[in-house]
This record gives sequence, structure tokens and C-alpha cells, in this order.
Amino acid sequence: MLTGNKNTSWKFFSWFFALALMSPIVVMLWGSINTSSDLFTHLWATVLPEYIRNTLVLGVLVALLSFCFGVPAAALISQTNIVMGKQLRWLLMLPLAMPAYLVAYLYTDLFDYAGPVQRLLRAWFDWQSPNDYYFFDIRTIGGAAVVIALVLFPYVYMLTRTAFEQQDRNLLRASRLLGCTERQSFYQVALPLARPAIAVSLALVTMETLADFATVQYFAVNTLTTAIYDTWLGYSDFAAANAIASVLMLFILFIVVAEQRARAGQRHQSSRPNTEHERKQLSFAQQIIASIFCWFLVFSGFLLPVILLLAMAVDYADYNQLVALIATGKNSIKIATYSATIATLIALMLALFQRLHQSRARMIPLQISGFGYAIPGTVLAMAMLATFGPLDHAINDVAKAFDFKAPGLILSGTIFAIVFAFVVRFSAIANGTINAGIGQIPKSLDLAPGSLGVKTLSTIFRVHLPLLKSSILVAWLLVFVEAMKELPAVLLLRPFNFETLSTQIYQLISDERLEQGALGAILIVLFGLLPIIFLNRQKDSK
Amino acid sequence: MLHKIWFSSFVFVALLGASIHVAANDDVNVYSYRQPFLVEPLFNEFTKETGIKVNVVFAKQGMAERLAREGEYSPADILLTTDISRLIELKEKDLLQAAESTELTEAIPAQYKALDNTWYALTTRVRNIYSAKRLGEIDFNYEDLADEKYQGKICTRSGKHPYNVALVASMIAEHGEAYTLTWLQKVKANLARKPQGSDRAQVQAIHQNLCDISLGNSYYFGNMLKDEKQKVWADAVYINFPNQSNRGAHVNISGMAMAKYAPNKANALALMNFLVSAPAQKMYAETNMEYPVRPGVEPSKLVASWGQFKADNLSLETIAKQRKTALILLDKAQFDL
Amino acid sequence: MKPLINIENLAVELQSKVILSQVDLSLQKGEIIGLVGPSGCGKTTLLNTLAGFIAQSAGTIEINTSENQQIKISIANMLPAEERNIGMIFQDYALFPHLSVNENICFGLKKLTKAEQGKRCEELLALLELAEFGQRYPHQLSGGQQQRVAIARALAPQPSLLLLDEPFSNIDARLRNELMIEIRQLLKRLGMTAIFVTHNKDEVFTFADKIAVMHQGKVLQIGAPAQVCQHPNSWQVADFLQLGSWLPVVLKAYKNDLPISSLIGQLANCALVNTLVDKSSNTTLNYQLLVKPNDIELCQQQPDNVIVEHIGVTEQGYHYLLSSIEQHTALAFSHLSFYSQELYVLGDKLAIRLKGERFNLYAVHKHH
Repeated sequence: MLTGNKNTSWKFFSWFFALALMSPIVVMLWGSINTSSDLFTHLWATVLPEYIRNTLVLGVLVALLSFCFGVPAAALISQTNIVMGKQLRWLLMLPLAMPAYLVAYLYTDLFDYAGPVQRLLRAWFDWQSPNDYYFFDIRTIGGAAVVIALVLFPYVYMLTRTAFEQQDRNLLRASRLLGCTERQSFYQVALPLARPAIAVSLALVTMETLADFATVQYFAVNTLTTAIYDTWLGYSDFAAANAIASVLMLFILFIVVAEQRARAGQRHQSSRPNTEHERKQLSFAQQIIASIFCWFLVFSGFLLPVILLLAMAVDYADYNQLVALIATGKNSIKIATYSATIATLIALMLALFQRLHQSRARMIPLQISGFGYAIPGTVLAMAMLATFGPLDHAINDVAKAFDFKAPGLILSGTIFAIVFAFVVRFSAIANGTINAGIGQIPKSLDLAPGSLGVKTLSTIFRVHLPLLKSSILVAWLLVFVEAMKELPAVLLLRPFNFETLSTQIYQLISDERLEQGALGAILIVLFGLLPIIFLNRQKDSK
Repeated sequence: MLHKIWFSSFVFVALLGASIHVAANDDVNVYSYRQPFLVEPLFNEFTKETGIKVNVVFAKQGMAERLAREGEYSPADILLTTDISRLIELKEKDLLQAAESTELTEAIPAQYKALDNTWYALTTRVRNIYSAKRLGEIDFNYEDLADEKYQGKICTRSGKHPYNVALVASMIAEHGEAYTLTWLQKVKANLARKPQGSDRAQVQAIHQNLCDISLGNSYYFGNMLKDEKQKVWADAVYINFPNQSNRGAHVNISGMAMAKYAPNKANALALMNFLVSAPAQKMYAETNMEYPVRPGVEPSKLVASWGQFKADNLSLETIAKQRKTALILLDKAQFDL
Repeated sequence: MKPLINIENLAVELQSKVILSQVDLSLQKGEIIGLVGPSGCGKTTLLNTLAGFIAQSAGTIEINTSENQQIKISIANMLPAEERNIGMIFQDYALFPHLSVNENICFGLKKLTKAEQGKRCEELLALLELAEFGQRYPHQLSGGQQQRVAIARALAPQPSLLLLDEPFSNIDARLRNELMIEIRQLLKRLGMTAIFVTHNKDEVFTFADKIAVMHQGKVLQIGAPAQVCQHPNSWQVADFLQLGSWLPVVLKAYKNDLPISSLIGQLANCALVNTLVDKSSNTTLNYQLLVKPNDIELCQQQPDNVIVEHIGVTEQGYHYLLSSIEQHTALAFSHLSFYSQELYVLGDKLAIRLKGERFNLYAVHKHH
């Protein structure tokens, strides 16, 4: 247990960082107080109900589709002898490496009326106009939901598969002996037991969907995020934009809390992981259907977009572009590295505080520091300016008062703001990973070295940190990749002449010249593969 | 182990500290709504002539908000925008200062700048109606888009896009709110598909027979003709200057302004003078197919070949004033839904 | 009377490794058999094969569920687990954590109406003294209570055969004996036939009617515990059941009253049982005599032949482990058990000799 001087400073810093990460949210909520009711009345009378309906439909559809993609895939990989299961196991994680806005662009382009697929069909069948045939419209809520789900389902797949693999096989055996067929056992035991994993991953997917600006825009789907844009950029009403964003965030938090409450009474813990369990032998027909299903997901979530990008890169790449890419790539890596390192360190500090400290409120810092995940990047960027703008002013005023040269906007005008925004936004990921890792360390180890008279801090360095090594690395990599992909916050907060891979791609996309950014996009995807490769290797060595 | 970690943490913090640096003071700093590839050649030319380095941040949205938050310590000197509304918004928020020089006064006609010299237009662009060649040559009015005979024939980008908002604002200034709302509802009823994509994508859709008529800025036509892949799209359409027999075509501007707290005022003014100079105006005309505002500078040959046109002489400030009303009407008509 | 379960020539191969072979076993209704053997001997595999979790590669399993109903499982007719009418209690109980106690017990009663389910559940809760815990979740119960729920759940569908996989290993040693007796009485009262796996021979003596000793995938000996203990049919059975210490010996001649010699003297006129002696061979090596502690006595006349290597205190006096002074011959031994009221110290040298009339002699197949 923590004692003495270390105790208080640890407590102080934990609360300090947690509150600092909370501050943009507080600023956002505060900013929404002076909302004029006129604008709301107008929006409510015209477009808002439709936006809300679209938001709900999109959220539910994406969750549903991610469930339909992720859970069967997890079941097939973990419970059957599907052909090439070993390869599919990690292939199914690859879509995670694709930024959603990129896939959205590629797919809307591909399946649009004027896109290559429909052009080809028209050429083949000699159709002249849209009235001659039916083709699904990609720019609908349904199209958006499918494409977003294709990129986000790996969250559901990964967590659910792990849950299935860690289930006590005796539970399934018991259910068989109590008269359930294989199929019934799956539905009545395996699936309910995986519920926490499924729920957590669906909550993640829903959060990502609702907080996404760029992706839904390509689909011409108007959601609450559109309302935030309209009120802020169109009507110049920052307060109303904050209010809508706050509502959106509360909505997301509500989902998370409701889910946690719903399973508060149950405890799911496996004492004996299901290592070499008996796999269901698929019949020939089942093999074919299962393989088509899994390969469809890998193909449409990863392979096809990558092939499209590669084709573009081959056509358009040149030497100058590569040189420019190195500079922007360096910027991306720089901010992603800072963000990942800081987020991981803070997560470690808060999670260990929660575990080792004795104060009654020890859980709070860890919890509140993760709220940022529910804020859309653009709103977060605005909140960031609202938070650091005044601070910067104070610093400059003080400097002036003491006759120093004004240092300028050292907080809001530099990459500090971007890194801070990323840490706020992705802390939840680092917190979750590291806290799960700490949960696996037996409590007895907290006490044992203490009783040997070793100081707490060195206990942590000698016992906890070595045991957490892989969790720390996974947390770092996940944040790193998310930071590489993140767009809106960098776009708005970056200093002069500062391009990252994502802003560059975004600009080229918005000018419909993605071809020239294809190399950069491939680079982001390659970086995204790192944690997946690492996660996979780690699982195998276990 | 312990020492290693402390050491690396220290190095890390030191590195982070070193990489935070604030924009230098002898340059000129630009916040730009305009795409970098359009303005960078101009800036390079400027640097070559004067030796003054130009720093840019580009963003499609939120620059005004950022500038407001930064207040008196903002490093921004110059703002570049793509339409009139943004300039007026910046002015209304008191984020601009007057910039005056003989070059500016000589170069920019009165209708293309603010009365108090807080902003200047750099180029003008027409909101054209593109129509499929298969329809034959037609004299369009914007009002015609509401005609029932075009049901299922019209394509456009989002109604909330600044270019369309400005057009709607000009309709309000001309016809009043009630007429414009009905007009919007009828245009919406005529749409072949939900508003989506860019102005170019609408021309592509015409090329693909999805619709016959679209709204688009003038320079896109030139840019598409210059692009190998997109030339076929442009070849499928006529570019029409609407309302030639009455008030004239709706014209918007791209513009510039000096930030209220510009730290490098002299450099900023030099850049502004450069941007309205004949060579720079010619570059605008050639690289992005826009109409230069400086009298005497000709548009590119291609643009000139589309012929003379009559522009609506409604003042830009009036259009900007109707912007909010335009947004409200677009919401009421549920134009994008 | 027909046996309730009859296993013939059962074999299991996994990844072309033989796990079980030539297993024959049959049980009358109401009998409880304990399967013992060192870890890896295949006893758990046998349970899993009976339950239907592992496919057999040869042999048949017949279960007579009632007078005129029979289930016959062979390679040609692999019945899935859910159709075998077998119940199982797992080492960690495998209670469904997402279901309450009531729901756990009713899990196997889907075919009954809700009312019937409720009635059966209540009966079992009463029988196992769980009445007040019906609404709780498994993690809210103690280890013993969890086990009772597992038993109730397994008994609810009225299986014809109950399998128990090391059911007592998670129970506190002090409660274990009491619980075993309680459960045995319950099973007897219900007339339940049960196969029970453990690595602890003492559990078998308390819980089972019969014992089956397994080794390397084979059943070596089946019988009543007392009979098996008195007449272990192989070195492995005697060794696993720890029926005595092993004394390496040399046979002088192959007759029934053959004299044998060891480092602690010779024996002439004794009866030797279980001698799987290859009488045609002239090799004289690798025989061991099973020596129980009271087969040994001190003998002052002789020169010292053993040395005290370990001392323990028991209710029967001091327990010594002795090893031969001479350690460099094929007949050298260690860990010979001997009880005495006298106190010796480590390293004391003693003279002992064999007494007694009946001995078990085995050819050695020591596993490595």
C-alpha cells in the first residue's frame, strides 16, 4: 500500500491529471449554458427531429451490423475447424488499420452511380439511365452503416473471440450433458457468457460512430454531428453547438452506464481458459458458407480498399511525392508518439492509483479521465481552444507585466494542443487496456513485497511494471494508431506549415485527388498493422 | 531499470519541450480557407520576390473561431477565404483591421472591397448552371430550376455549402423569403438524388445520365477541361450564365483580409499588395480559372472563350446579410434531407 | 441381472497417440466405482469418452437406461453427449455464472413444463439443503454450496449414470470426509450409479464400492477396495496404492517355495503370490518384494545392514525410512518403511531382517 509522502504526491498528481483531462469537457458543458432558445426552436421545428432519428438509426444499425459481422466471425474462428482458421484469426483484425473516412471515400466512389462498378454494369448490359436497373444507393444511412461497420467490427470480433477462447470449456460440456445440442449450448451458454465483451465492444463501436464527422459526410447522411456543424459554422452559434455536442456525449455515456448496470449482478470470470477445446467439425457446405462469410469481411474491410489504394499509388506515385511524404510522416509519428507515451503513462499512474491507494474515491480519477472518448474530434478541438486560449492569454499578460517578450500562444498555438487533445480523446483506450492488465495481477503481489520492507515505488517498478509490460505496449500501440488516423482535431489545432498524413489525405480527398495521397494512406494503414501484428504474436506465444 | 525509466522520461519531456516552438516573427502568417495547392505557387513567388517567408495553416472550417479565441496574441496576419460570408463573419466579430495602400486602392474596384477597407476580393466566380448537351442550348434563369419539367433532372451539392447558401441569399434579396422558400421546395422536389458530393461530381452525374442540370462554380468547368480524366465529363455539358436577360448571374468572390492583431503588419500589407498585382492576378486566372478582380487583367483564354456575361450587381454585403435567413429557409425546406 | 453400464474393449487415440486401450468395465445399478491412477493414466479421458466429449476409436459402451431400453455407443453409432442420459460433476463445478441457482438446476429440464421444473427444482433444493439459495448467483455461494448446486443440477434430469471428475479436490481437507460420506449416502439413497475419478486413493476407500486402477491407458485391476489392497495384481497397482515398500531381491531357483535373497537376508519357506515369474528364463534380475512395515523386525545378532535416513512421528510410534548401507549393488534399496517405539537418530545403523509367511513378488516394470 502507498504510504507517507509518496502517497500524497501520487494522489495529488492523479487528481491533477484526471481533472486536466476532464477540463475540455467541463469547458464544453459550461459553454453550452448560454444557448439561445430561438435557434433551438427553429432547429426543432425543421431538421433536428430528422437528425436525431438518423443518428439513432445509424447508431443502432452500425451496432447491429458489427454484431452480425463480429460475433459469428469470433464464433467461427474460436469454435470451429474453419479452413485457414489460423490465418483468418488475424486477417479479420486488419480492417481496424483502415481510417473510416478513407474507406468511406473509397466505397462511395466505387459504388456511386458514376463510380466504376455501376459504369461497368451499364456498359455490360447496355443500360442508359438509373431507371433501367436497380442498384443500391451507397449514399444512404444503410450504406453508411455497412461501410462503418466493416471498419469497426474488428473491435467486436477481437473482444468476443477472446471471450470465447477464455470461456471454461467445462461450462459448454455441462450444458451438453444437460441435454443441449452444440447449437443450443452456444446460444444458451457461450453467447450469454460473452455478453460483457460483446457489450463493451458494441459500446466502443457506437461511440466511434456517433462521434464521427468526416465519414458520415461522404454518405450525405445528416446526423446530430451535422447539426453541430450547422449551428457552429452556419449560424455561428458556438453555444448551441456545444449544447448539441453535450447532448450527444450524455447520450453515449448513458449507453455505457446502462450496459454496466444491466450486468451488475452477474460476475463472469473464468478460472480455466479454454485452451485445447474440441472444435466443431463443419460439414462441407458449412465450410463453404463460413469461409465465404469470413473472407467477405476480410476482403471488403481491408483487402479491397488496400488494392484500390495500391492501384492509385502505382499510377500516381513519384519521387517528389515520396520526399514530401517523409516530412509529413515524421510529423504524424511525432504527435502519435507523444500522445501514446503520455496517455500510457497517465493511464499507468491512474490505474495503479486505483489499485494501490486506499482513499475512498480512488476509482474516480481513472473513470473521469476516459470521458473524452465520447467527444467528437472537432468539438474537442474547439473546447481545446476555449480551454487553452485564456491560459495562453494569462501567460502572455504575466510575461508582459514583467517586461519579458510575450512568448506567444505556447499552449493553443503549438502541437501541445494537438497532443493534449489526443490524450483526452484516447485515454479511454489506454486506461482500459492497462486496467485490464492490472486486474490480472494477483492482489497478493501488492502486499507481498511490502511485507518484505521494499518501498512502494520500487515494488511497482520491480513487480507491477514487468508484469504489465505487454499491456503497456498494447496500450501504447493502440493509442499510437488511433492518433495516426485522427483527423478533425489536428486539422483545426495545427500550427503553421504543419501537415500530417491524415490532414494531407483529407485535403486531397476533399479536392477529389486521393490518387496523389494514396501512398500516404498506405503508410497510415501500414502503421495501423503494427499493433495487430504484435497482438497476434503475443497471443500465439501464450 | 528504475534509472533507465527516469532517464528516458526526462529525455522525452525535453524533446517535447524542444518541439514546441511558436511561429517566427519576421515572416507573414496566413490562415487560409483556400486549398494550399491553389495558393502555394503564389506564396512561393512572393517569397522569391521579397524574401519574406509565408507560413500557412489551412482549414475548411473553424478558422474564425480559432482567431477569436487567440485574440490579441494571435500570430495570424492575413486571412484568405473562399466566399463573401466568411469575410463578413470575420468583420462582424471584429477580427479584422483596415488595410490601406495605393496599390490596393488602384487595383480593386469599389464593389469588390469593404467600404472601410477591412476586406478585399481577389477573384470572382459565377454560380453557373451546367446543362447536358443533349438538352440543346437553353437560356436559364435560376428561377427555372423550380419548373416541374425538370422533375428528377437536377443534381447539386449540399444546400448548406457556402456557395449554395450565397446563391439562396441572393434569391432572398431579389424575391423575398416566401418566394425563395417555395422555390427551394420545388427545386428539392426536382432533385434526381439527395444533395451530395462536390460541384464536379454533379457534372460527372450528368455525363453518366443520372441527371441533366446541375449548379456549379465557373472555374470547375475550366479545371475539368484541363484534367485528362474529367474532360469527358465537362464535354458532356454546356456552361450557362443564368439570368442574362434580367438581373444577371450570381457572383461570389474569394477574398483576403488583415487580422486585427496582425503582428507583422508591414509584411502582411506587402503580401496583400502582391496578391492584387497584375502578375499574381494573372496566376489566379491561369491556375484556377477564376475571374481576376483587377481591371485590365484578362481571364485565361479558355475562360474568355465562354463569352462575356452580365453579373448581378447586388452588393456582396447584402448577400452576406441574408446568409442566416438563407440557412433557415434551407432547414425549413429540409433541402439536404 | 444386466449391468447398468458395460464397456468393452474401449480405445481412444488422439493425434495418433494411444490414450486408452482395451478398457473393459461394467457396473451394476447403484454401484459407485472410483477410478484411480497416476496423472496422465487416462482416467479423465475415460470419463470424457463416456460423456461423449471425446470420440472412441474402438470398442462399445452400452448403457441400460431401464429394463428394456438400451443405449449402445460404438464407432458406427456415436451418440452426441446430449443424448447419452449421463450426468457429470466437474472439478470446478462448471456452474453457469450468468444463471441463478434455480436456473442452473432447471437448465437440463427444458422438456418439462414450468410447473414440473419448479417442483423438481424445489425437491432438489430441499434434498441438498439449498432451499434459501435459489435466487442467488453462483459467485455468491461458498465452495461447498456450489458443489451441492452442481450435484443438484446434474441429478435434475435423472441421469442413468453420474460421472464425477475429482469432485472433492477443491474442498477444504477438514470438510472433505464429512461431505464425501454425505454425498455417498445421497447417491445410495437415490440408487445412482456413479463413476468417480480421483488421484487420491483415500477418497476411493471412503466413497466407492469398487476401485479400478489405471495405468498408461489401461485398466489394470478392478475389484472391491479390500480385495485389491490384499491382492494387487501388478507392481503398478501396489505401487500406486502405496501398499508397502519395495525390496529388490534375487531368486535362487524357480520353484514354488523358492528361496529368495536380499540385502537384508534370505527367505526360504514362504508363500509367494502374484509371481509373474518367467520360469523359462534364467535371468535372475529385476524382481521386487512388496514389504509391509510389520514384515520387518530388528535382529541384534546380525551385522548392521541399514541406515536411518528419515524419521517421522505417527500414532503408531516413530516411522523410519531405511536404506541399505551398501548402495552400489543391484539390490540396494532406500525408503523402506519401518515402525518402532524406540527413538533412533538420523544416520543410526541397524540390523533388520524379514519375517512373515506370505509375500507378493513382482517382476518390475518401473515407469520412467
